[in-house]
Amino acid sequence: MAEVEETLKRIQTHKGVIGTIVVNAEGIPIRTTLDNSTTVQYAGLLHQLTMKARSTVRDLDPQNDLTFLRIRSKKHEIMVAPDKEYLLIVIQNPSE
Amino acid sequence: AEALLQSMGISPDIPNGKDTHTHTPPHSSASEGNNRGNVMLPWDPDPCALQLHSDSELLGQGFRLGMAKVTQVDFPPKEMVSYSKETQTPADTQTHTQAKPEEEMADPKPAEDSQEEKADEEEKQEEVLPKELTEEEKMHLLNSEEFMAFFDRGSRIVERALSERVDVCFDYSGRDLEDREGEMQAGAKMSLSRVFSDERWSKNRVVTCLDWSPQYPELLVASYNSNDDAPHEPDGVALVWNMKYKKTTPEYTFHCQSAVMSAAFARFHPNLIVGGTYSGQIVLWDNRSNKRTSVQRTPLSASAHTHPVYCVNVVGTENAHNLISISTDGKMCSWNLDMLSQPQDSLELVFKQSKAVAVTSMAFPLGDVNNFVVGSEDGSLYTACRHGSKAGISDVFDGHHGPVTGLSCHSAGGPVDFSHLFISASFDWTVKLWTTKSTRPLYLFEDSCDYVYDVMWSPTHPALFACVDGSGRLDLWNLNNDTEVPSASVVVDGSPALNRVRWAHSGREIATGDSDGQVLVYDVGEKICVPKADEWTRFVHTLVEINENRDEGDELAAQRLLA
Repeated sequence: MAEVEETLKRIQTHKGVIGTIVVNAEGIPIRTTLDNSTTVQYAGLLHQLTMKARSTVRDLDPQNDLTFLRIRSKKHEIMVAPDKEYLLIVIQNPSE
Repeated sequence: AEALLQSMGISPDIPNGKDTHTHTPPHSSASEGNNRGNVMLPWDPDPCALQLHSDSELLGQGFRLGMAKVTQVDFPPKEMVSYSKETQTPADTQTHTQAKPEEEMADPKPAEDSQEEKADEEEKQEEVLPKELTEEEKMHLLNSEEFMAFFDRGSRIVERALSERVDVCFDYSGRDLEDREGEMQAGAKMSLSRVFSDERWSKNRVVTCLDWSPQYPELLVASYNSNDDAPHEPDGVALVWNMKYKKTTPEYTFHCQSAVMSAAFARFHPNLIVGGTYSGQIVLWDNRSNKRTSVQRTPLSASAHTHPVYCVNVVGTENAHNLISISTDGKMCSWNLDMLSQPQDSLELVFKQSKAVAVTSMAFPLGDVNNFVVGSEDGSLYTACRHGSKAGISDVFDGHHGPVTGLSCHSAGGPVDFSHLFISASFDWTVKLWTTKSTRPLYLFEDSCDYVYDVMWSPTHPALFACVDGSGRLDLWNLNNDTEVPSASVVVDGSPALNRVRWAHSGREIATGDSDGQVLVYDVGEKICVPKADEWTRFVHTLVEINENRDEGDELAAQRLLA
């Protein structure tokens, strides 16, 4: 438990990281470093997108599965590490 | 006012005419008085009355000028009173969250009461659901096995991704090229590539051992002894560092209760890391488990080791291998990695049936599983063998004047076999070159001015070896070039004592650990570390020269003795 906290803190204090969110299988955020409304927004949208991405990968090849999702936009980079049950979302500003 | 008017040439006659209509003056003598009295009328200050009179006298008379009172009125600008009310919460969210319930409240209003209640309940439930999860089930979730497994994997990937700064969208046309980090040092001899250090786990500890993974050339394990400043932290730490990614945190963190004096990747078990500790226990860590503590430990009993274990090594082949460990009381045990509860075999290393050898370093020649070399605390070197009738110490070498700190057997395979050569480093400031065929040293390297802590042959170049000493110097000696001075040398920033040196399996990089808990990895220039085809034959010649010099030296010494 303490290791989880330590790792989350380390990720959060990494250069350029804006926020970190842990989401469960239903899209409900469990841990977050952002404010409530932003978290809910990110969690909901990214959960849906991850589901869609995963189903795309599996439709193309049923033996395959989604391992990492990275969205690069003009301002940020959103990284999603998906799992069967959870999602780890990290938003980073890569120009810093 | 009358006088003024008269002076202006306005006679009061005109009102007379009016007055004769209205009044019937009894006598004309009083006409003046009447006039005066009648005159009073037009001086009526009432502006309306004045206006009336003046209008009636417009019969060619012109305007009547009258005194008008000028009143100055000063109107101040109308103050616009405005209120600016500060909100405690950001305006956006407030309006946002306020809008929601307002909308929801507004919508069901016209509807039935039951619907309104439902909407409220639903809204409340939605708000409450995450709260319930976070308060009650959060701990449960975060402590569950699946979450730990997910988080271990996910956080590792994310940390690597976070450290990568590759910008695939970079536009070369629109902007100037950014300065590249890391200068081009193509011709340089040795350049610092990475420094690995962890605030929590490696600070204030001495790096006691280094080993590169045989399976993944980018992984490096470093073991550390205890941190005197942090008595509550575990005494022994082993960290696995990853060269491939730019992240600055260790790939895996392991610890145990006693200071780790030696560590190695288990050669035929890619997931296991072996550590020899100060208490004599040998611990086994597995990177498949989520725990940071060891998965297996040898017992602290007389059958195993009870003294610090400075040497651990896996020797053998895939199907027949053993873990060999030697402690400072001279006991050598060989273990089966699957069963660490008792050693498979143990042997007391004693010299001449009496003196136990306090082993501080050990080396196996390339390809040999039976014969090996050990160095001891009193400065002597011994060859020994594990099996056979003469199991135990075989020969003693003249040795050093101080404890032996490092031993390395020649391991660069090539057209000529030099596996009889080995080098030793010691507290007596020297490195000595030996051959197993003779008890006298072949050569003495005396370039250092401090304790030499470790030495290692290059795995690829036959005439190249590295040594580190207590003044922070890392020296590379190329015996084909020069045997008097190192061919390349670098001093680490801050001059900490360098405790260990290890070549990577590729022979292109060197890792060294210092007394501050830092692991520094240097890239070695191609000109130095890449052997040319004739290096082996050149080394043969070099050895011949060395031998001749030694023999000459011996002859001279013998002559002097005789004379």
